Amino acid sequence: MTLLSSAPGGASVARKTPSAPAAPPRRKQGGVILAVPALVWYLVFMVGPLVAIFVIAALHWPGMLQPVSFAGLQNVRTVLDDPVFMDAVTNTAVQLVVALPLMIVGAYMLGYYVAQQPPGHRVLRYLLFIPGLISTPAKAMVFYAVLSPDGLFNGVLDKVGLGSLADAWLASPSTALACLIVLDVWSGIGFTAVLFAARLGSVPDEIGEAAQLDGAGHWRAMWRIHFPVIRDFVGVVTMLQFLWTLFGSAQNVLLLTQGGPGSSSTTLSFLVYQKAFIAADLGYSQTVGVFLFLVGLAGLLTIRRVFRQNY
Amino acid sequence: MKFGRSWLPAHVLAWLYAALLVVPLYYLLVSAFKTNDQIFGSPFALPTSLSAHNFTEAFSSADLGSAVVNSVLVTALALALTLGLAIPAAFAIARTEGRLGAFVERVFSLGFLVPTFAALFPTFLLAAATGLFHTRAFMVLFLPATAMPLSVVILVQFMRTIPREMEEAARIDGASTFGVLRHVYTPMCMPGIATILLLNFLTFWNEYLYSLVIIGPDPEQRTVQVALPTLKSLTGTDYGILTAGTVLTLVPVWAVYTVLQKRMQQALVSGAVKM
Repeated sequence: MTLLSSAPGGASVARKTPSAPAAPPRRKQGGVILAVPALVWYLVFMVGPLVAIFVIAALHWPGMLQPVSFAGLQNVRTVLDDPVFMDAVTNTAVQLVVALPLMIVGAYMLGYYVAQQPPGHRVLRYLLFIPGLISTPAKAMVFYAVLSPDGLFNGVLDKVGLGSLADAWLASPSTALACLIVLDVWSGIGFTAVLFAARLGSVPDEIGEAAQLDGAGHWRAMWRIHFPVIRDFVGVVTMLQFLWTLFGSAQNVLLLTQGGPGSSSTTLSFLVYQKAFIAADLGYSQTVGVFLFLVGLAGLLTIRRVFRQNY
Repeated sequence: MKFGRSWLPAHVLAWLYAALLVVPLYYLLVSAFKTNDQIFGSPFALPTSLSAHNFTEAFSSADLGSAVVNSVLVTALALALTLGLAIPAAFAIARTEGRLGAFVERVFSLGFLVPTFAALFPTFLLAAATGLFHTRAFMVLFLPATAMPLSVVILVQFMRTIPREMEEAARIDGASTFGVLRHVYTPMCMPGIATILLLNFLTFWNEYLYSLVIIGPDPEQRTVQVALPTLKSLTGTDYGILTAGTVLTLVPVWAVYTVLQKRMQQALVSGAVKM
């Protein structure tokens, strides 16, 4: 996929510039200036702030209106010594390790199922896509209504006689993080499955038929035959979900648990938010931001390597 | 028989998951017409009356009316700006041969790796520095920048497929570079433009964290997504009102999705593939 050529430092697969040898190089270059506004926009609003993260990370800046001084690597030491940071690292690791495989494997199997066009697959496709439409606050409000102490889930437990198991799911240290993971998986599988189904739909039918003639069961056909064909696409989708989970978790945490109780559901990206806008420790916040950025980069490169097309 | 007995677990699991998606939404919808007592007492029962009380209450207590207007305003203007920036840029990149065009395209596609969220605080500083803090204007300017990488890359791919003879013919008729862009390239990559409009409509309408931090909680300025969670705390959580508000914010997206279902799925798939 295009990814192979768009990610940095890649094995630079030859770019698809239209450089057919016979093409006459007569095209005017005059239009380049038209790209300038978009470039300026992009540099000012995206690259600029990104660079600023690294600068602020080296500052001692205890609040918006406080004096700023250079701190060098002092923030790094503060962050590494902070038990809350370590909790956030653990929580984020747990979140990624649990949510990502569940989501990708589940979505791939579901996508494969839908792509076989079983009865009702159109309705199913329509339904599966719903989480992709709903905004984060709306999803969080749905979850809040379901999981709050007097919400739907406890109500159901009560109805079936398991009322003693009822809990304040979002406010209990042992389940708060799990709730966030469930939310990720719940909303992630459907949307991702639609992506996989669409991609599997463009795999030539002959491949599946040939497998059936060879007597391969569906399980084998799914993992041994179709999976290798769309392996790079699975990689791209895994990268997307990785980034969304890593960076996007701040919103769910903010809306549902505020990182608590204690720091039991504080993730790295929420820590960036919390230190910047609630605790007003800006150097600390952006140091975590740098860390998060590096984790994101390392994760992307790893995923890309794992899913590299190998046939 | 293609779907034999061995498929039974697959059918069950797939529809079970679908039920997990639908049940909370059903709950959301029926609760919007109930009082707290009814919601706790019989969560799944159909509402006894279709009174709009919760909706009007949600509307007034979270000022959803002006929030919807703000959201529409921000989304529409940001979409227009996105097109205004991305179309000329893609045009320039698609027509420029050699290193320069490839380099500019590479710069944009690197943007996929920029996690916009990580830069929340510096962006907040930028808003403060430009004097646009607590305004919708900053979001209108800012959102298109986040959409640039995907929009430019998708459009470039469309524009590369336009045969150069089309341009040469227009040139012979005396068209300027701008004329070529306007009368040849733009009409010919309408499917691409529709794709980025749909993708960015979803992102812009659903944007939460930046709107929260930059536009802030002022009821005159805030967007729907920022107004919605305030129902949770404001009312000591009257679930009827909370769910009614949630339903209201979902309506525009839902309407667009139901009408343009095929197209929207294609758009999202191509968005993911282009990454």
